[in-house]
Formats: sequence, structure tokens, C-alpha cells
Amino acid sequence: MAIFKGNDVHAVAPDVAVAFFQGIMPFNTLDAETLGDLARHCRIDFFPKGTRILTADTTELTHLYLIQRGGVKAFLEDDNGEVTLKDFRGEGASVGALAIIRGTPANLNIETVEDTFCFLLPREIFLDLIEKQAGFAHYYLKSFSEKIVTTAYNELRHHKVAPRRNEDLYLFSIRVGDLVKTLRKVAATATIQEAAAFMSEYRVGCLLVHDTIDEDKIVGIVTDCDLRSKVVAAGLDYKEPVATIMNSPVQTVLSQSLCFDVLLKMMATGIHHLAVERGGRIIGVITSHDIMLLQGHSPYYLFREIRAQQQITGLYPLARKIPEVIRGLIGEGAKAGNITQMIAILNDHILGRILTLLEQEMGAPPVPYCWLLLGSEGRREQTFKTDQDNAIIYGDPVDEAEKQAAKTYFEAFAAKAIDHLVNCGYPLCPGEIMATNPLWCQPFSVWKHYFDHWIAAPEPQELLNSIIFFDFRAGFGETILAENLRAHLNREIAGMDLFFFHLARHCMETRVPLSFFKNFIVEKDGEHRNRLDIKRQGLTPFVNFARVLALKFGVKETNTLARLKALMEGEQIQGELWSAASEAYELQMQQRLVHQLRQIETGILPDNHIDPADLSDLERRMLKDAFTVIDRLYGVLERMYPVV
Amino acid sequence: MFNILKPGTWFAPPHPLIGQNREAFARFDQSRPLTDYTFVVCDTELTGFDRKRDEIISIGAVLIRDLQIDLGATFHQYIRPRNIEHTQATLIHRITPQQLMEAPPQEEVLPAFVEFMGNSLMVGHFLALDMDFLNRAARKVLGGTLSNPGIDTMRMAQGYQRVLTGHFQEEEDRSCSYALEDLAKEYHLPMFKPHDAFEDAMQTAYLFLFLLKKFRKGGLLTLQDIYQAGRVGNMWY
Repeated sequence: MAIFKGNDVHAVAPDVAVAFFQGIMPFNTLDAETLGDLARHCRIDFFPKGTRILTADTTELTHLYLIQRGGVKAFLEDDNGEVTLKDFRGEGASVGALAIIRGTPANLNIETVEDTFCFLLPREIFLDLIEKQAGFAHYYLKSFSEKIVTTAYNELRHHKVAPRRNEDLYLFSIRVGDLVKTLRKVAATATIQEAAAFMSEYRVGCLLVHDTIDEDKIVGIVTDCDLRSKVVAAGLDYKEPVATIMNSPVQTVLSQSLCFDVLLKMMATGIHHLAVERGGRIIGVITSHDIMLLQGHSPYYLFREIRAQQQITGLYPLARKIPEVIRGLIGEGAKAGNITQMIAILNDHILGRILTLLEQEMGAPPVPYCWLLLGSEGRREQTFKTDQDNAIIYGDPVDEAEKQAAKTYFEAFAAKAIDHLVNCGYPLCPGEIMATNPLWCQPFSVWKHYFDHWIAAPEPQELLNSIIFFDFRAGFGETILAENLRAHLNREIAGMDLFFFHLARHCMETRVPLSFFKNFIVEKDGEHRNRLDIKRQGLTPFVNFARVLALKFGVKETNTLARLKALMEGEQIQGELWSAASEAYELQMQQRLVHQLRQIETGILPDNHIDPADLSDLERRMLKDAFTVIDRLYGVLERMYPVV
Repeated sequence: MFNILKPGTWFAPPHPLIGQNREAFARFDQSRPLTDYTFVVCDTELTGFDRKRDEIISIGAVLIRDLQIDLGATFHQYIRPRNIEHTQATLIHRITPQQLMEAPPQEEVLPAFVEFMGNSLMVGHFLALDMDFLNRAARKVLGGTLSNPGIDTMRMAQGYQRVLTGHFQEEEDRSCSYALEDLAKEYHLPMFKPHDAFEDAMQTAYLFLFLLKKFRKGGLLTLQDIYQAGRVGNMWY
């Protein structure tokens, strides 16, 4: 009975809070009693739309925020006031977990995009859960922004869900004692300068500090970071003893600890250098970097592997690891623009390595060439499903003999390259837009001629070609060839209003998805009935718009976000339209990536068809907002190229 | 005790709680920032609206401090009515007669509630009705009425609506309802089960928080601002 609930621990917790916690991860794993206890420690706050909740690097977190109703955006703002949108979070999502776990101020700006109610869970209680509830630490690993954490999480998932290859499970099989490097230490009375010199000599990022008399007694640790912040930045005298800047006492782990547990400790404490102890003695130091290098799924690791590969066949399995790496990045919450850039970089390196090794195998080409990437590859906007779209441009041969030599060489070269690319997991282009097609393996002068023709006679096929080919960029080889072609294009296309008129009209043929079925326009019939084609209906209008204006105003960029930014900087589009379009475009990219990732994880071939029923209310509303931007873009084109 | 010749004994002296309560609000300052106050959002369930016959059978309340709902400070109590026969006939609530039979009488509950309120401001949806019944009970049980200033969320909502529509004239041109449930729907607030004193108090607390922060975002920073600009009504009941 009873119920003056003020200080009565036996009081019944409000149902609303308990029900809320039961509905969200990872709280749903807790038993009723724990939830009741949590609920009694919560507060509920309301933030009207447009309220700044957290400010990056400034706000100290006293609570974890759990969104009950509404939504927030997470963004960063640099010194010039430039805003980078990182994330939208809706009902059930949390804010501030990372900062609380690390004990740092907020790492992102958080602002409500709707009227938002939050449950506030006190910091200490949240930390207590992280420590005591196994599932909690694992769950919040995902939101850590360091790559290291993402890979750890992936490992965890493999471990739990589908343990496949043993080499994937380093984190769970290797003990830190096996990783530890030679112990480097210095006496506490040594000067800072001596310590720094020592670190340079041995190329280490940290140094243990031992007692002056007892060399085995470790009293502290000094890191690169200490030298930077406590000495150089603070203007400290280099002659001071190193003991003045060391961190003491040293945090230690046992040599038999699993790498995974050590990683957890590093993340929980924010300390990335731990001393390793065996039989009561310090035997060395382990850093987060050492553990990261173990990981097969960090982009950095893959990048190194690709660069070091000496056999083309050795690249096949590496290329097929790319989705794994990307999955990690998405899980980590990286934004779509960065993710597609990363995909492009990794794909470029695969390509570069294949062609380099191929040149070694076949001998140097008779004339310089450049491997062109077209379409979405040209725009650095590939996702998981990427057909090949490529071509070869080579230097104009000086005579008939060289012409024949080039033709023969590049024909064989392209055939082999395309073959290797297929083996790496890049499917053939159904439209034959590949370097193996004789049409698209041509010298510079022929390419110029192609481009001139398409601009001058914008018939449907020519228009289609221009859409794919004008997004070209250099993938490998003599970049100058691509640059010259771009310069030629920009020169020739200026003032070709008939071409632009048709390009703009073509762009506007894609309907703005504003008539809604369950709030959404969807395909009316066929296999993907009741689904939204996010690429064709959502993203393509942005891509097309950016292309029309980029070509019109001589912008060299091919990436849609980069084109939009350049157009804004050139004041060809308004700043407000730029930010709306960039946000809308990136949000949809994110949706598409997450959608494809889910498909890959369930073993389905990735596509672009989203079922609106799978989206949360907030996601739906945000997509709807994104679509309204398309209408504005069309408005700009309409005014520029009206049908008289 | 009672002596007809000594007017001082005509009425029993008020309960010490009432004394403290009066003292706390004797020099009440409205000009402080909103964050300085604590609020108790409450709702009562009644056997009916007849002031003579009907009584309170349930009180639900939740505390707001730092302009946040504190789930660690909630109050929910059923009250055994004196006339249980009459009650059974009129119940529209979720409360079962059994629960009421087992509940403590208002002589126990009311002092606990007054203690829970402490120096907080009272908040309620159509607060006048709740206060009327609470003060009736307080007079009986504690020998005096409550001095806590009150805020009515219904009038706040009317004020908010005037701001939204830009109509500041006295006449209400609003066709829809100011019922708690309808307002909650209109403002997209999380919904609670109606006709339960505690759930209604929570619903009212959400509404209050919503309106208060909307007003605050509009630049109304003190309690006085809310009273005046929001035209929340009389401070005293």
C-alpha cells in the first residue's frame, strides 16, 4: 500500500518509465526490479523544437538522454561555422552515452528537430549499468566513434552470431601478453628532453617511468600526448624531470587478459596506454593502436594489406572484405558522405593495385593512358552494389605503328583488368560501359570528338551518354589525360543552351515523390510494389541537379555533395538551398546504406527498394522533408530553363 | 474545549501543517526564475461533482523540480470514502470497491499529501475543481485551507493557443476542446490512461512541462511572466 513515494524505495515505479525501458535496447534485457529502480531515479524533460541540448566539447554530461518522443540531430560545427550533419536520432535512441563512458564533455552538438521529451538517467546509474550488465557495454560499443571500437563490435557479433573464420577472432583468442613489445623505460629523474629523445630513438609513443633506485619499480607513464599538451603547449622547461609530467600510477592489465577485455578497459577509462603485468612485474605496454592493427576489418588495416599485395589473385579476398569494413563504419555512425568516400578510396586502391601488377606482367603500355571511372564510381558515390562503369583514354599515337600497338595492348590489358575486377566482386556492366568495349577504349582525340558530338546533338542516346560519361574521373594512370578532357569539356559546353535545356528537362522527368501512400510515394506495380526506390526517386534528382549546374558553371568536381558545395561557394546557388539539399541528400544516402547493409546481413542481394513500413515515424518524416527539397531544386531549373 | 463564551475556541486550532503551509507562502515571491520553484502536479478522482455529497477517492501527484518531472517523487493514494454505498453507485473509475474498502481514510491521506506538496506550487488541469474538494477536505481534517499558489494548465493552454493564433482578444475562437486528453493529442504528447488520478497527473505534468517550456522559449522567464503574459488566471484560489 502506501504511497508517499518520496523516499520510499519500495514505492511502485511509474508505469510509463518501466514500459519505456522495456521497449528499448539494451534496457529490455533488465529484470523488472532493476527497471523499477532505474525508473525511480529518472527525470523527464521537455525540449521544444530547435533547442540545443548539448554543445560539443563544452557540455558536461550529468545524465544520459533517452528520447521518448520527438527527435534530435547530431552535428559538428567548425571554427568557420560550417556545419556537418552526423546523425538523426529518434524515439528510443540515446544521447550522451559516449561522453559519459569516456568521461569527456559532449562530442557532438545535439539539437532537437521536433518537440522532444526525454528520460534523463543519472550518469552514475548509467555507468553502473555499463559496468555490471554485460550486454550494456557491448551495446554502447557501437556508438563509439573510433574505428577500433567498431571493429571490436563486429568481432563481437561474429563471436556471438556467426563465428566463421578463426582469423576473424583475434580479439577473443589473443592475449595481450603475446602482443606486448620490448619494455622501454626511463628513470623518474631523467629530464623531459631525455625521455623524448629516448622515445624518438626507439620509435615508441609512450615510455614507462621507473623509480630512480629500484629499476623494476614502475611509477608512471609518459605519452606523446603528454609531451604535446603538458610540455610544448604549456611551455614547460624541457629540463624538468620527466616525473613532473608522467601519469601516475600506471593502469595495468594482466598479461593473460584477452585483447577484447583490454579494449573494453581502454574504452571505459579513456586510457589508451596500459602497462602489462606478468607475475607482479611490468613487462611492457599495450596501446589501442597495437590492438587495432590486429583487426582484419579496420579500413586502415585493409588499406595496408591492399597496398602491400604482390599478387593480383591476393587482391580478390581483400576486395571482398570491403563490405565488412563498410558495415563497421555504418555501425559506428559515420555519415553517408564519408562512407561513400571510404568505399571509393578502397575501390580505387584495389583498382590501382590490379593495374600496377598488370603493367608489370604485360610490360609498360606503348602510350600513356588513364583508367576512367564513370557514373556513380566517377562521382565517388558507390554503395555495396556497384556495377563496373569504366573506360580507357590514352595519349594520341604519333603514327600507324604506335596506333596498332596501343590498340592491341589496351585491348588485352582491359580484358584482363575487367576479369580481375569481376573476381574481386565488381559485376560486369549490363550496358557494356566498360574498357573492354572498343567504343570506350580510345585515344584522347576520339574522346574529345565523342563529347563534342553529344553536346551538339542532344538526342536521347547522346543525353544518356553524357549523363554517365560527364561524371568521369581519373581512376588510375596519367591523371593529366582526364584533367585535359575535363578542361576540354568545360570549354566546349559553355553556352550550349540547347544541351542544357534538354539535360534540365531530362532531370525534371523524375517525379517529385510527394503524393503519398502511407505518407510515401511508392512504386505502383511490379515486384517492388508499395516500395520506395530511394535511388531513382530520392537520390537521382539531387545528382542530376548537381550535374546540370556543375556543367553549366564549369565546376570540375563530380561528387554530388562536392558539386553542391562548389556551387554554393561560387554563389550559383543560395547557401540555404545548399544546406537543405546537402542534408536531404546525405540523409537519403544514409537510409540507402543502412537498408543495403540490413539486406546483406540477412543474405539478400542489396537493392534500393525501401518499404516505408520498415521506417520509424521520424525517419519517414525526415525523408518526406528531404523530398520537398527536390521540388525546390526543380524550381531553380525551371526558372533557368523554362519551357516557353 | 469548546466554550460558547470564548470565541477563540469556536474553531479548533488548525493543524500544524496548515500553519507551516501558510507561513511558507506568506511572503511569496513571484519574480524569481521558473527554475527556482518546485511544482506539484496533481489530479483527484471524485465520486461525483456534487460539492455537498461527493468526496475525493484518489489523489495522484508528481513533483517537478528544475523544470523536470522527478519520477522519484510521486504520490498516489486511494481514499476510503465515508459513504461507500453511494460511491459504488457512481464509480466511473478504474478503482474497484475492494480497493476503496482497503484504502486509508482521508484523515491519514491528506496530511501525507500536504507534506508531499511542501512549498511547491500546485498545478492541475482545471485546478479549481480539485482545489475545491481538497480544501473542503483540508478544512475538515486539518482545520484550514491550503495556501499553495496554483497554476491551471487549461488556462495556460488557452494562453498558448492565443499566442499561436495571434488572437489576443478575450473571446475564444477555438472550436476544439481543452480537455486534457484532446490537448495531449494535439500537442503530440505521450499518452496516458485517462480516469486514473496518477496517470492523469502524469499527463498533466507532461502538458505543463510542454507549455511552460514553450512559454519560456518565448522569453517568459519568471513565474510572474507566466501569470501575466500567459494569463494563466488568478494566482490564488
